Amino acid sequence: MSNLQRLPAEQQYQQELEALIANEQDTIPTNWKMSPRSVLKYICGGKAGKLDITPKYIGNKRLVEICIATLVTDRALLLLGEPGTAKSWLSEHLAAAINNDSSKVVQGSAGTTEEHIRYSWNYAMLIAKGPSKQALVKSPIFRCMESGSIARVEEISRCASEVQDALISILSEKRMSIPELNEDVAANKGFSIIATANTKDKGVNEMSAALKRRFNIVILPTPSDIKSEIDIVQTRIAQLAQNFELKAIAPNKNIIEQVVTVFRELRDGVTLDGKQKLNTTSSVLSTAEAISLLSNSMALAASFGSGQIEAYDLASALQGAIVKDEEKDSLYFKEYLENVMKKRGSAWSELYQACRELN
Amino acid sequence: MTEPVIFAIRHLSAAAGFNVRKKLTKYKPDLVLIEGPANANDMLPWFCHKQTRLPIAILSYTTQEPLHTLLYPFAQYSAEYQAISWAYEHNIPCRFMDVPSDILLSLIQAKEQGLKQEQEDVYTKDTTNIYTSLEQTLEQSFDSIYERSLEQLEQDYDVKAYEFGQQIRLHSHDDKFDYALNHVREAYMKRSIVEAQLQGFNKIFCVCGAYHAPALKQNEPLSDSEFEQLNKFSISTNITLMPYSYYHLSKQSGYGAGNNAPAYFDFVWQALKLGDYAKASYLYLSHLCQSQRQQGYFVSTAHFIDAIKLANTLAYLRNSKYPTLEDLKDAAITCIAQGNAAALSVAFASVDIGKKIGKLPTNVSRTALQDDFYKQLKNLKLEKYCTFENITLDLDLRENLKVKSQDSAFLDLNRSFFFNRLRVLNIDFARQTKYKSDAIWGESWNLRWSEESEIQIVESALLGETIKLAATFALKEQANNCTDIASASAVFEEAFLCGLTQVCEYALKALQKLSVNTAAIEEISKCMYKLANTIKYGSLRKFNQNDTLTALLEQFYLRACLILAQACICDDKAANDVIESIERINKVQIDLNFLDQQCWVDLLKDISNRDDLNTKCSGFAMAILIERGLIDENLLNMELSRRLAKGVAADLGAAYFEGLAQKNRYSLILRLSLWKILDNYLQSLDDEEFKRALVFLRRTFSEFKASEKSDIAENLGQIWGLNQQQVSKVLMSDENLTSIDDFNFDDI
Repeated sequence: MSNLQRLPAEQQYQQELEALIANEQDTIPTNWKMSPRSVLKYICGGKAGKLDITPKYIGNKRLVEICIATLVTDRALLLLGEPGTAKSWLSEHLAAAINNDSSKVVQGSAGTTEEHIRYSWNYAMLIAKGPSKQALVKSPIFRCMESGSIARVEEISRCASEVQDALISILSEKRMSIPELNEDVAANKGFSIIATANTKDKGVNEMSAALKRRFNIVILPTPSDIKSEIDIVQTRIAQLAQNFELKAIAPNKNIIEQVVTVFRELRDGVTLDGKQKLNTTSSVLSTAEAISLLSNSMALAASFGSGQIEAYDLASALQGAIVKDEEKDSLYFKEYLENVMKKRGSAWSELYQACRELN
Repeated sequence: MTEPVIFAIRHLSAAAGFNVRKKLTKYKPDLVLIEGPANANDMLPWFCHKQTRLPIAILSYTTQEPLHTLLYPFAQYSAEYQAISWAYEHNIPCRFMDVPSDILLSLIQAKEQGLKQEQEDVYTKDTTNIYTSLEQTLEQSFDSIYERSLEQLEQDYDVKAYEFGQQIRLHSHDDKFDYALNHVREAYMKRSIVEAQLQGFNKIFCVCGAYHAPALKQNEPLSDSEFEQLNKFSISTNITLMPYSYYHLSKQSGYGAGNNAPAYFDFVWQALKLGDYAKASYLYLSHLCQSQRQQGYFVSTAHFIDAIKLANTLAYLRNSKYPTLEDLKDAAITCIAQGNAAALSVAFASVDIGKKIGKLPTNVSRTALQDDFYKQLKNLKLEKYCTFENITLDLDLRENLKVKSQDSAFLDLNRSFFFNRLRVLNIDFARQTKYKSDAIWGESWNLRWSEESEIQIVESALLGETIKLAATFALKEQANNCTDIASASAVFEEAFLCGLTQVCEYALKALQKLSVNTAAIEEISKCMYKLANTIKYGSLRKFNQNDTLTALLEQFYLRACLILAQACICDDKAANDVIESIERINKVQIDLNFLDQQCWVDLLKDISNRDDLNTKCSGFAMAILIERGLIDENLLNMELSRRLAKGVAADLGAAYFEGLAQKNRYSLILRLSLWKILDNYLQSLDDEEFKRALVFLRRTFSEFKASEKSDIAENLGQIWGLNQQQVSKVLMSDENLTSIDDFNFDDI
């Protein structure tokens, strides 16, 4: 096993990708590693020869189809969604399957500049020799244009608008000009961009209509039903436990169900049976949050506890995730404990008692 | 003898319509048989009349309860319609071959009864399950599966559809009733074919649903004795041809037949006629873009091109040559609405379904209800309002004394009854609007005829032979379904407005039954108010006060008197509702002298005297007593001094005053002694208490008009021996309120 903390998708699932390529039956678009149908199979699961392909994205398969179809038509793809709806996850796996390379990433932030999108210079060389191809430092997007592959831009709405605007000409003309060298680089077939943006950050740097026009926009929803959310959490927890070599016993389905239930109810502001309205807390209670909560509890249990997640571990983790800094959250959570959790019967009583003690 | 051609179709499929015509032209049959009720054969000529516009439908219904209906809708592109019009164009005989609707309806009735008797038997394995499991395996909706695998076929539509029908038959297991029903129908259709062969037809062409097609080839026809036995099943039914709309078509869809998007399949039909299926996508998306623009969204041609590209790729991913409706919609959401499906929902509704409405020549078979409707239009002199324009008609419900006959004297009243009955039947011809004055004898109606109205009339034909009977039936049904007195009294009011005395009685009985369990003062008072109004204004609508109604009102009145005091134990929020209820009951008591006045007055006195009730309610009870002139000044002063005394919590006293001031303010202002008491009370308070009382009293007086306030100022000026204007100036300014800025409102 590798000593790296986290392997890129194409290495982690190398075996699956190879199997899919070996069993390819459809036509492959230029500069892609496999056909669109195989990409779909890689992401949503299926069988390649004898090998089972694990599903990477559990949810609406149709959305993945739309994403892939978008990239086939060489339009750029924008994934929108609340935090923790697997936007980056999906974008990484799409790039891994299509190009066997998910590493060409520009991370959008307040500090991202136009150079990160286009190119910058090796200044020592620039001063010594003047502008030349050797002195050029190409951005990941630049390199993708040359190789005809997929570049990823994370959190695009956190970039300043002039940085976002730099993408417009790249996406519409599919060329990048280098005035210093009097040159013009044209993108090869297969080049495209997958961007992600957070709906909770809406308005930080609103994307311009011109830029939005160049993207096909897919909104990733929170899992539609509790069963698929439990599935997602369970699969990811198992993977993480393996990665981090956690010695704790993986949480049983019952615990996962409890965490997911609490999260869903507080997120949607209504109990699962739809009978009781609740106050929603300000904290982000996404599926990703549930996963990290459970893996944290596992780490706690393995390092300082019995090796098994106890109600007490779970309660303190829940407390930390739900009650962030606001006074209100604590109030709403207490209300939830008394009005909902307490009345759920014996299966929940242990967790209820533990949460009660912390509040 | 040549074997008949069995052409398997899906109802309301454009490809089926297109292919059936192609096959007919090639085969040139001498008889065309269509899956449809044999007793509707007389209607076939109307299908091809030059004034007829599709969609139309054959509707058959039982004339007696229990109500059952059969509907056979046809769109322009329906295979059945295409076959009929082909036969008409080529002068070839054409017939329906299915079980006549009177027999089929009786079989359906028998089936429903059978199902009821065997309720504990749960049939899980029915045909629908096949479709749902198909959807789950292929991870798309059945409509998409159908479109990809059959609708888009370029040849052999009937062969593939036949195969599809055979597979469905093999793998589905209907409950025994459905199985029997299908079996009988198929044997009957087979017999129709055999009969035609005996009549000497040699090249027979049958159009029927894919599910039945294999049976028509393989099964045995109905024998003579079975045929005779079946004919005994006939019950009394009506059958009629009616105009239909795409909107109604979209609601009729199920797995076997129909579609959710009749207008979309119209595009497919146009594309097929042009010989290029791909055109359907262009037509659909361009209409969608247009509809989206009309709603103010910005949609460019570039969006359109992107959406087409994406839809084609999605189709490719699903192994189909052309995009399906689902592909087009998903592409539109992604490219046109930027991922936000909600933004397109209106456009989807209008472009999928469309506004097409059918039309039939005016003299086509009318239902009795249609006849009655037009007769009434004539009698009530409303024919000239039957236009597509919106016309407002003002009615004067009073008797017209200038005319001779009874009918014309009450013409407007009868019109009002008629309009109200139409409203109850959901026939959208007349809509009531606000009358120009408050006069209760005046009504204003907006009249506008539309083709949709005709459909609504035919649909109401199920309920009765005439408008009156149908409205009676509908309201009785509503009365039977009522679960609380509010809804039952609403039905009573409807019946009253419709002039249906019989139904009024019926609704009252329902109301009486429900009233036993009602103990909420608000509900009771509202219901009493409604009933009392019908007595008060009943004569205008020629409604006679009857014993059931008075008895019921007395019963409600007594109940209200018994529970009102208890209802006054409530918090301030609820007190407002209670006060409204008291006001309503008081009005009813004043209007209807048969309700015992003494009982009401005693109750009000009790409420106004008691200290354990909400003081606002007590104050309001006192206000009513003053209004009725039952309280002299001394008594009022005494009570007020008791309520506004130092030591009584300030909010309680102020609330009492608030309740009291809800009514007859003018007479309160005139009583100087009252203001003296208030003045004394305020003087007696210390600073902290004063601040508290001030907050509440200020709220009370905020509802007073400026002129009333100035009158109060005059009173106070007199008490304090000051100039009225000075007092008024001080009282009206907000300056003095700065002192309560630091008051802690949280304690209240």
